[in-house]
Amino acid sequence: MVKASLAGLRFAWVVMLAAGCASYSTPESAKSQIAFGSEVARKGLWREAAFRFEQAIAKEPNNARAHNNLAVALEATGEFTRALTEYKRALELDPNDTHIRRNYARFAEFYTSYTRTSGKATSGP
Amino acid sequence: MLLAAVLAASPAAAGVSQVRLRLPLRPRLPLRGNEKIALANFLVVTDAEKSRDKRLQNVDLQGEFHRFLKKQIEKKTKFEVSDLDVKLPTQNLSELGRAAEFWRSAGTMTGAEVLVSGSLEFKVEDRSGYKTEEYVSPINGQTYYRQVYVEQTGFLFDIVFLVFDGHTGEKILQDEFKDFRQTGGRRSDELQGLFENLFSLENQILNLFVAREREADRYIFTD
Repeated sequence: MVKASLAGLRFAWVVMLAAGCASYSTPESAKSQIAFGSEVARKGLWREAAFRFEQAIAKEPNNARAHNNLAVALEATGEFTRALTEYKRALELDPNDTHIRRNYARFAEFYTSYTRTSGKATSGP
Repeated sequence: MLLAAVLAASPAAAGVSQVRLRLPLRPRLPLRGNEKIALANFLVVTDAEKSRDKRLQNVDLQGEFHRFLKKQIEKKTKFEVSDLDVKLPTQNLSELGRAAEFWRSAGTMTGAEVLVSGSLEFKVEDRSGYKTEEYVSPINGQTYYRQVYVEQTGFLFDIVFLVFDGHTGEKILQDEFKDFRQTGGRRSDELQGLFENLFSLENQILNLFVAREREADRYIFTD
């Protein structure tokens, strides 16, 4: 009797675990990835945020907002060359968004000065 | 890489949030970080108007700036700082920048790998005057404009840095920093104004020698 109930518990646990894994691996929408990414970004967890924004881009490659957010996260983690590429892509996808334009302008100012002193530029903004 | 990014988010619009990043500023000079630096005198820029300003007679601009610069470099870098207490060969900034022979011999004399000089200008400007102010009448609630006398003092500080190679005497960098501060009151203290200027330029000045950070705001979308 006890053995049977233990087996039942084990089964239930396996089912729950499988269900958990299934829900974890369920593709989430780009919007929810952006929402979660921005939340962790505001807590300073930029690497996790970058991962989330990359996931959002994987779902929606033409999402300008996701490219903008990824650019900010890359800038925050010091990956400036990649940030530049992402800012440019965001701007290409939505050239009229004032927030993306402002971000890009501010980044361009920083990046120009940074590469002027370090000589690290591979391509200018 | 030193790069923590942070911080507070302030909602700017629906679906958008502002975040603050800390971005690195690389040093302007290609130094290892443990060189010997000799601080020479700076040229003090004066003009007829300034020399008549009695308020500036109490400010030892050369001395105060030298002390500030030495203290900041000693405190915030690992350079070995010394004083180069010799008379400059000219009072002209361009000529000073070209006096390679003078700087080479100064380098030999002090053993410094880097020599720092330049020019300083500090102006105190009385900006008091009448200004137009909006005023709502407590009697009829209507808006009127009136002239009010506002006492203000402006402090302008302009530094040109010349940095020389102690071995060759050649100029390796020239850079200029300016700061303007305005305070209420006609008789604001000159020394206080000078240090307000200096502390606001501190990050830029130190960035000549060592890496610094600066804060920058960016927008992220929240949905």
